[in-house]
Amino acid sequence: MRKLRNLGLVSALLLTLVTACSSSDTQVSELTIYSGRAEEFIAPFFEIWQQQSGIKLNVRYGDSAELAAQILEEGKNSPADIFLSQDAGSLGAISNEQLFTPIPTGVAELIPDRYSQANRDWIGVTARVRVFAYAPDRISLTPKTITDLTKPIYKNQLAIVPTNASFQAFLTAVIENKGRAFAKQWLLDLKKNGVKTYAKNSAIVEAIDKGEVSIGLVNHYYVWEVSESLGRQINAVNGYFEANDLGNLINVSGVGILASSNKRQAAIDLINFLTSEPIQNKFVSDTHEYSLIQSINPPQDLPSLAQVGALSIDLEVLKNIKSTQDLLIEVGLL
Amino acid sequence: MQSLKSPSNTSLLNLYRVKNQTNKSLLGILVLLVVGLVLIPIFYLVTRASQKSFTQIQELLFRQKTFEVVATTSLLVLLVVLLTAFFGVLIAAGLHFVNLPYFDALIIVAVLPLAIPSYVFTYTWIALVPEFSGFLPAVFILFLTTLPYVILATLAGLRRVDGSQIEVARSFGLNHLQIFFKVILPQIRGHISGGVLLVGLYTMSDFGAVSLLNVDTLTVTIQNMYRASYDRNAAAVMSLVLVALSALFVVGDERFKSKTLRNKSIKTTSVKTYSINKPSYQVTVFSTIFVYGVFAVLVPVYVLLSRFITNPVAVDWSSLLSASISTFSVALLGAVIALILSAPIGTLLSEKPTYFSRFTNRAILIGHALPGVVIGLALVSFGSKISFIYQTTFLLAFAYALLFLAKSVASMTASLARVPEGAKEVAATLGMNKWAVLKNVVTPIAAPGIALGTTLVFLTAMKELPATLMLRPTGFETLATQIWSSAAISRFNEAAPYALILLIIAAIPTFILSRPDKADKPLSTQEIGK
Repeated sequence: MRKLRNLGLVSALLLTLVTACSSSDTQVSELTIYSGRAEEFIAPFFEIWQQQSGIKLNVRYGDSAELAAQILEEGKNSPADIFLSQDAGSLGAISNEQLFTPIPTGVAELIPDRYSQANRDWIGVTARVRVFAYAPDRISLTPKTITDLTKPIYKNQLAIVPTNASFQAFLTAVIENKGRAFAKQWLLDLKKNGVKTYAKNSAIVEAIDKGEVSIGLVNHYYVWEVSESLGRQINAVNGYFEANDLGNLINVSGVGILASSNKRQAAIDLINFLTSEPIQNKFVSDTHEYSLIQSINPPQDLPSLAQVGALSIDLEVLKNIKSTQDLLIEVGLL
Repeated sequence: MQSLKSPSNTSLLNLYRVKNQTNKSLLGILVLLVVGLVLIPIFYLVTRASQKSFTQIQELLFRQKTFEVVATTSLLVLLVVLLTAFFGVLIAAGLHFVNLPYFDALIIVAVLPLAIPSYVFTYTWIALVPEFSGFLPAVFILFLTTLPYVILATLAGLRRVDGSQIEVARSFGLNHLQIFFKVILPQIRGHISGGVLLVGLYTMSDFGAVSLLNVDTLTVTIQNMYRASYDRNAAAVMSLVLVALSALFVVGDERFKSKTLRNKSIKTTSVKTYSINKPSYQVTVFSTIFVYGVFAVLVPVYVLLSRFITNPVAVDWSSLLSASISTFSVALLGAVIALILSAPIGTLLSEKPTYFSRFTNRAILIGHALPGVVIGLALVSFGSKISFIYQTTFLLAFAYALLFLAKSVASMTASLARVPEGAKEVAATLGMNKWAVLKNVVTPIAAPGIALGTTLVFLTAMKELPATLMLRPTGFETLATQIWSSAAISRFNEAAPYALILLIIAAIPTFILSRPDKADKPLSTQEIGK
């Protein structure tokens, strides 16, 4: 009898211990993040959070798409708790395979719903606008629409990054809004017009500065970033298509919690931190991105999203990113 | 000789041969195990590719882009192979036969570029020549990157050339070039083709240089499909195309190699018995190596250093030290694993070729053409199911061993093939057990070559990037990852300290290994002769 009672006591103790471990939110000491955002820009933010929360962050830096491929390959065995991505497409790929757990409402409440996945599988953190970077001394007439880019005056002058997620998100929006036939013809016309492909957005801006090309489709912050890293003024500026042209698309960076994580509360705390007002202000000033919170000012020297007349991509559309890639493969740009 | 005829010794010899038979089956099992490991990526690719329907695969294979990239890749491989074969043999023969000033410095210059990642060459050349882009620059960069493979392999072959034949040829009045083409070249074809094979397979798998220079090769296409499409199945189909292409290359190389004259004597001539003092030779060889040194060592070092000096950043010594230690230890571990894995393979391949050994050889070589990202993802797929090894330095080192196994197998095979069966049998009749034979007969003969192979794995593992990014423990930085992350955003000044440390770490084993007189000493004073 006494033995039995002891046994009961021990198992009760064990049970509390086990539950304490599994729901261990109060005693989480480490969190693993796969970060598609470059260390250079995001590490200072993580540093602040580590000090505030006392939780150590193990950060695995890499390219958003490559990290997404890695998470897909790891499946339910992924060691990651959080995936922070440069672009919505990579997040969508994880979401499609049901590897995210939905983020409860009330978390990141300053971020408008339209910047998050419908099921709240992931939430937007910052925004970037698609622009064309160009050399003002070589391009006298800037394009008004993306169709203008197929005109002879831009022959052998234009550069794109077909492998880049932001470019693919933009192309997905073109397909959704104007149809696959239009998108295919547009790409073929670009090819005929001697479009040059590069591996990275920053490489395009550098190529414009060097004179290899004169105009390129990139995100708004690359002109600033390249000039910053070269430590000098460069011969490239941002240009915008006319209001509501698909060329001015808004794309978001975002964050999601892996379904396989057992550190959900700590992950939520970190997301709340990244989407809080002071931190969003810091993103704008330190990384030159747009905040998703409307009351926060645009980056220095840049027009607001409303002034650009930028379309916001319907994030559900990103589920079709695969057919976009099939199109790129079909026309031979991938 | 008398003792060999005594009955007890004959039975010892028979016993040795019987034991050799039982060892054969053990060897077969070990080889199968290693081949199984090597085939993990291929198995992964086939599994992935089979998830595409037949028509989808057909569409992928027969679209125009596939033909274009296969053509580009083939032409790139062809040009790089021809260039490296020509200059590699020229430089190696020059170093071996021609009396040159600053010999030690020249040999380091000729081999050191092995430690420089192709993307560092590319970034620094782009920084120097802004217009640098396209197919021919890619040929140039890959030539700079891979030339040491042919130089090292040819040097190794030249040290085994039968000196007496050269003497005979000279007595017939043949001139230097005639001697080289009629006597020496036929004996070293196998070694040259071994080096050329590594060049070709590396060129197929390179991503850094070609992607930065906008050349669409198969590897770039594969990597783009992984990066951008999340379409791992299509990427797997294209990877299998690469496997097929490398198989063609490997078989072609076998044909070439089979024409090599075998020379199984242990005796080697010392370098200086045949040494040319003709000024025209000296100038040609010296200036070739000098120009190569300028392009492949001076340019990268100059660009990195000048960026560092004009825009200095505070060197993070602790991160530099920890990245150095990480790089050194994980590359070393990878080289040791490759050494262990290549022992049974090398033993098998050094014996008479059989159907089984030919299959083994091809399996290992073909895996060598796979880009790091494919091996990386295959090991992510397998490794993540075994959480205690996933994202550990061990798995990373294991990936290095798989990626570069062909290098250590090639040297192991060549070295073991040099141990005459007769010597082993004689040792056995003298009453040595198999460990003693291994220790006293096999090791002294084969050691220098095996060390060369292991060092090649070590040097290339140190600069490996794509598999490292996927498989490293979270937060684990190597010199290559640090160089990449700074160079990728054009911050050469930040990359400079890491790249220079990489060169220094690489220079030490390069120096020790590539000094022919040092490497030859254990051979010429062979203990077998005692």
